Amino acid sequence: MKQSWFFYFFSKSVSQRKGRVVIASLSIMLAVAVVTGLLGITSGIKEKLGSELKAYGANLIVSSGSGGFLDYDALQAISKLDGVENVSGHVFGMAFINNESIEIIGLDIGSLKETGWRLHGKWPLNEREILAGINLKDALQLETGKAVALSGENGIMEFIISGFLERGGAEDNALIVSLPHAWELLSIDKKLSVVLVRGRAGELAGISGNIEKTVAGTGVKTLRQVAVAEESLLKKIQLLLVLVTVVVLFAAMVSIMSTMGANVLERREEIGLMKAIGATRNNIRLFYFSEAVLTGAAGGAAGFIMGYLFTQAVSWGAFGSFIDIPLYLPALSVAAGLVISLVASHFPVVDALKYNPAVILREE
Amino acid sequence: MTNNKSFIQVRNLVKEYKTAYALRGVSMTVEKGQWINIMGPSGSGKSTLLNIIGGLDNSTSGDVIIDSTDVEALDEDHLAIFRREQIGFIFQQSHLIPYLTAVENVMLAQYFHSMADEEEAGEALKRVGLGQRLHHRPSQLSGGEQQRICIARALINSPGILLADEPTGNLDRDNTEIILELLDSIHREDHFTIVLVTHDPFVSKWGDRVLQMEDGHIVGDEFIKERVKGA
Repeated sequence: MKQSWFFYFFSKSVSQRKGRVVIASLSIMLAVAVVTGLLGITSGIKEKLGSELKAYGANLIVSSGSGGFLDYDALQAISKLDGVENVSGHVFGMAFINNESIEIIGLDIGSLKETGWRLHGKWPLNEREILAGINLKDALQLETGKAVALSGENGIMEFIISGFLERGGAEDNALIVSLPHAWELLSIDKKLSVVLVRGRAGELAGISGNIEKTVAGTGVKTLRQVAVAEESLLKKIQLLLVLVTVVVLFAAMVSIMSTMGANVLERREEIGLMKAIGATRNNIRLFYFSEAVLTGAAGGAAGFIMGYLFTQAVSWGAFGSFIDIPLYLPALSVAAGLVISLVASHFPVVDALKYNPAVILREE
Repeated sequence: MTNNKSFIQVRNLVKEYKTAYALRGVSMTVEKGQWINIMGPSGSGKSTLLNIIGGLDNSTSGDVIIDSTDVEALDEDHLAIFRREQIGFIFQQSHLIPYLTAVENVMLAQYFHSMADEEEAGEALKRVGLGQRLHHRPSQLSGGEQQRICIARALINSPGILLADEPTGNLDRDNTEIILELLDSIHREDHFTIVLVTHDPFVSKWGDRVLQMEDGHIVGDEFIKERVKGA
């Protein structure tokens, strides 16, 4: 009965001040929505940025420690390691076009589509079509659709140029062929010169160690320019998100404190009366903190929904796909709403406890 | 333990504000069941004395002993418990919670004391003549009716003392008389102690005794030979 009367009285009190409670809940909702949204984006950003940064290319290069070739099986083993987003096996060698020595790069041509290499022409449609570095176009008078004869260790093979690749590096002077053709031309059996690895930004040291443990006899080098740029970008974005979160939380607390302060001030007479008829400080704390819990929980839950939608909208706009939010985020949002509300209510409630009923109840 | 003599003892009570004294060494005793009126002009210290007796305010020095309890020695929470167990208050303004009905306002006092009981609260309101107004909100009632709710609220937990600060200060003469007759009637049945502050000589005729205060001192103490009403 004591509890049910408390809830009855509490609900009547709250229903009388719906406007203030709604405003306080809205403030919390907006703060939690921003915080939830930023946390959602932060948690998903590594993965999403990782896929976006694939265009930067590999950030680790694995080669044989002895300077020879790697077994092709190493590619599969590395691809299964935690933090490895993409792998690409390359074999390098020399072939000849009209007795002119040309570097060839054997790789999975399909994997190039996910990189930032610029293509002039078309991607190869079949095994006989290959790509050429852009510098070879003029040097060897090559044209798309034109056949070229490549001679290597095992004789002459004929290919069609489907397009020219431009990257601004050594690849611009090479011919890009599929791995089986490279093995055939170079007369090597399922071997790789290097494995280029795209590791998750910020985890490269761990991934390097795992590769060296998993594939014996390998040496792993970090492509520092790419890795440092990625990690720096990621850190800056995360720092920005943390700063925005802190500012939003602070603003929300000030807003709730102001609303709760006005609420307490408005109810001075009620507080004075409650004290006069025997309410202890805990009775009064219970009353106001219950209101803070109600406001915080409602604002937190609504803020989660809004933040979730915000996260997905941002992810869709920035990355063209949705983000998987962590499972703990709904509970964390409600908890954040409660913390904001309770902390912001603390000082107004402390003020309320100091009211002298004798003074308040004498006021006209 | 309750003793018929000196139910309330006030000894050398001083209340000093930054720039003035409200009480300058007030001493008095009140017997159990006595109705005492404290009269005096504004600023004489009568409300301050009442608030200190009721534990709503602290003194600068001196003692207030009520039924063997040293009120001045109690901390804030024990004072709150003491108030809900021992004291019923009536103020000049009714100080009713506007969104609660008459019966709910009485139940609020029950809630802080022990347990809200609608039937008992309704009976208390019937006793003050508001049986037909149980579910009215304060704004739907007259000033006199609101003060009657306050009487019911003050007495619902059967306190030993009723402290009333200008309880009829906002009422016209007819309503003042109704309220005082009601208090008189209940007092004769329940025999609790009443300390009533007023500046109205008409009000001071009810009760057993009148204390006169001026400038923080008690300057007169007179027993009323015959109460205005009653047997």
